[in-house]
Amino acid sequence: MNWKIWSLKKSPWVFHVNAGACNNCDIEIVDLLTPKFDVERFGIKLVGSPRQADALLVTGVGTRQAAKRLQEVYRQTPKPCVVFAIGACACGTGIFSNGYHVVGPVDRIIKEIDPNAIIAYVPGCPPKPEAMISGVVKALSAL
Amino acid sequence: MRDAYCDDNRCEIMNQEELNNKLLEIKDKLTGIERKSDKRIYLLCEVENSYAVNKFLFEDVGCRFVIATGIDSDNCFEVLYHYSYDETGCVITIKAFIRDRQKPAIQSLTPFLPAAEWIEREIHDVLGIDFKNHPNLRRLILADDWPAGVYPLRKDLS
Amino acid sequence: MSEIPQSLFWILIFPGFLFTVVLGLVASWIVRKTSALVQWRVGPPLYQPFVDVMKLMGKEILIPQDAQRTVFLAAPIVGLAGVLLLSTMLWRITIDPTRPFVGDIIVAIYLMVLPSLALILGSSASASPHAAVGASREMKLVMSYELPLVLAFVVVIIKTGGQISLAAIAGHVPVFSVSGILAFLVALLCVQAKLGFVPFDIAESDTEVASGVIIEYSGALLAIWKIMQAMMLVALPLFLVMVFLGGFGTAGWPLVWGIGKYVLVLVLLILIKNTNPRLRIDQAMKFFWGYCGLTLAIAVILAAMGNFYHIGWL
Repeated sequence: MNWKIWSLKKSPWVFHVNAGACNNCDIEIVDLLTPKFDVERFGIKLVGSPRQADALLVTGVGTRQAAKRLQEVYRQTPKPCVVFAIGACACGTGIFSNGYHVVGPVDRIIKEIDPNAIIAYVPGCPPKPEAMISGVVKALSAL
Repeated sequence: MRDAYCDDNRCEIMNQEELNNKLLEIKDKLTGIERKSDKRIYLLCEVENSYAVNKFLFEDVGCRFVIATGIDSDNCFEVLYHYSYDETGCVITIKAFIRDRQKPAIQSLTPFLPAAEWIEREIHDVLGIDFKNHPNLRRLILADDWPAGVYPLRKDLS
Repeated sequence: MSEIPQSLFWILIFPGFLFTVVLGLVASWIVRKTSALVQWRVGPPLYQPFVDVMKLMGKEILIPQDAQRTVFLAAPIVGLAGVLLLSTMLWRITIDPTRPFVGDIIVAIYLMVLPSLALILGSSASASPHAAVGASREMKLVMSYELPLVLAFVVVIIKTGGQISLAAIAGHVPVFSVSGILAFLVALLCVQAKLGFVPFDIAESDTEVASGVIIEYSGALLAIWKIMQAMMLVALPLFLVMVFLGGFGTAGWPLVWGIGKYVLVLVLLILIKNTNPRLRIDQAMKFFWGYCGLTLAIAVILAAMGNFYHIGWL
């Protein structure tokens, strides 16, 4: 197996991006990274810059203002990388589908600049930290 | 908390009785006073008097400004200013009716209430109500490439 | 002529690059695992730091448009070279103390500054405001702790009667004396700052300046920084052991004692790391120049008095 993908699976460093979320999923992500859920045993570490990240945890329905910024952050993440759409809004705009500011869910925004992006979906409103861990582990083992 | 903006000779501390009486001082500028409950008062006025009523409530009565709301009603626009009188826990709302639907405009409160600057900007952004004498009426929450002149929270927008 | 391949072997394989990198990554795993156990969690598996470095090697390198390319690319390599030489020198002296001049304490102090300097240069060349803040904080931190560090070593030099050769210093155990203990504690805190551990990880503070100094580095360059930090985790405690705790043996009981001493220093660093919050830069400066400077002044006077009046325990 490709050594790059194998080492990516064993040591995914995450960066959190809020693309217009109500902050509910953001609070759950911050909860996830506390010592109680111990994600360091999977090698997951929170980094402060997309340049050092392997996985982008994107929350929120993509608003018009956030769409371009999200694409810029994705471009600044060195490939290979994985995008996790966290929450019902990020997976498919959730309850905000007809909003005036909504430019489509996160995967449409990312696929606009990179059709081959690897995107994983973790639904929930908000998803529990256990659900997020399970989603991340499943996505990484399917790579 | 009150001492920060209320100095001694400006406003004294009142209980609910005295507050109700004090509000009657400005009765001539209002078109109505509604009391939904003991601690919830609505002062209705037209757009020309809104500046004076707000100034009275903030400076003479000594209420704390909480937030402002903009409403697109059937035949008019409304701008609501919510104040809280912390001594008794009473919430007072000033409802200013803007009858002109073509070019809605109202006096901005920023000369004596700088805290109202951003909420007035937001109301202008999504409802299109013009605030006169506002120091900085730029776009606040809409996207940079949103077309100017399109106000998303208006009822007649398709 | 056989000097050159032998020197290359020493520098690149054992006890140089390969040996120190492996040892350093294992030491960094010890740090992470112990921190996890202190926080009642499980922590990463043994191969985690190795996989981290491997993964970073496989990612693309992104260089910001406005960055100064030469300095940006050269800084991590300069830092790595400094730590590599320091580590090789210390291990050579431990393994073969009778060899003529490999390096003495002055060369060691000089080489220890190189990684911090490289960090400052690399972050200044990054053309990012976060990195600029991190660089300025790192500069202030280096200015604060370099003087107490050197003074602590001066105490040791006084106590050993003016020796500057590391092999000779390693024969003494200055920590069994009042001035020695004071100097050891101050040097321990200075090494904590040099390694970038809490409470002195001001330059690389994750939550304040979004990973500060190395924010713009990615891919293989970031891997070099991580390797450099891992190697410092080998070289600096080893230096402390040689200077204060009486050296590192090479066979039999002295070897076991040596490993025990190294682990002791490591455990002290980890304990301080896990029980303290981060300091502000002005608090750190006040701490190093005020408290540490005062402590060291007392230690120097005590050491000089002890030397002059031949009182061993002073």
